[in-house]
Amino acid sequence: MDRRASDNVYLHKDFHGALNAGIEYLHEHYGADAVRDYLRQFTIVYYAPLISRMKNEGLSALKEHFEKIYEIEGGGIKISFSEDELVIDVKVCPAVLHIWSQGYPVARLFLETTKTVNEALCEGTPFTAELIEYDEKTGRSVQRFYRSGA
Amino acid sequence: MISCTDFIPAYSELFKYLEGKGGKKAVVDFWNYLSDNFLGNLKSLVEKNGIRGCWMYWSHTLNEEAADFTMELDEDKGEFIITMHNCPSKGRFIKESHIEPYHDYCEHCDILYRRVLEPLGYEYAIDMSECDKAKCVAHVRIKGIEKNNDTQTDK
Repeated sequence: MDRRASDNVYLHKDFHGALNAGIEYLHEHYGADAVRDYLRQFTIVYYAPLISRMKNEGLSALKEHFEKIYEIEGGGIKISFSEDELVIDVKVCPAVLHIWSQGYPVARLFLETTKTVNEALCEGTPFTAELIEYDEKTGRSVQRFYRSGA
Repeated sequence: MISCTDFIPAYSELFKYLEGKGGKKAVVDFWNYLSDNFLGNLKSLVEKNGIRGCWMYWSHTLNEEAADFTMELDEDKGEFIITMHNCPSKGRFIKESHIEPYHDYCEHCDILYRRVLEPLGYEYAIDMSECDKAKCVAHVRIKGIEKNNDTQTDK
């Protein structure tokens, strides 16, 4: 079998399961704070270009980011957007859905992949993240980002 | 949600984080855990289908990862070979200059799969001499079959 990268679309959902396993492992062996520390560190390092855009362009950069990842992953979202506020209503989290579908238990702190990551995205920007709702069974969530002080 | 398309850098940062907590041993302990708890599908495919199970497993994963590879299976010789021309994971680190991969990132591919396949009666070897160019060759062979010789010996 010969395959070139262009022959396929890059979408390997089992990676959600591997990250889930990593979150549970970290929690079990190093504690809940380690999970949050790690996710914060990852976000600040990897999403540095996005954070930089948030500082320069505001919440529209974040809106584009979420639109892109949910378009790739599937899972219906509803977005409410203004210059000062972005609210993302996620009907079903594609990651949680995939983990369940493969028969793995969802990590106890899997919600931190949303909560901590969103909070870290806002660090050093004029914005604040708030996880308004989160259902651990489906990953359904309402995520709010708003201009601090607004 | 961290998209599965952003998993590779998340994985690499996890290795770095673990190393900061407990050195290389902490990273290897995690790889062993992941192999034991997350590669049940590779194990069951090989248990059920023999070396063809490797073909089945990597046909799924490497296509979904949009890898640039050649895969060969010779069931008579008991050999399965993956020649990775451009690893999508390592290739990504080469392309995205703002992220520095974990220094032994590619080593997880050696530990994770070896730990599944060797107890099932297979030899697993991976040539990572060109992994800095996102290239490697993984070779699975039924134990007891001589290299370059298709005569199986009972052991």
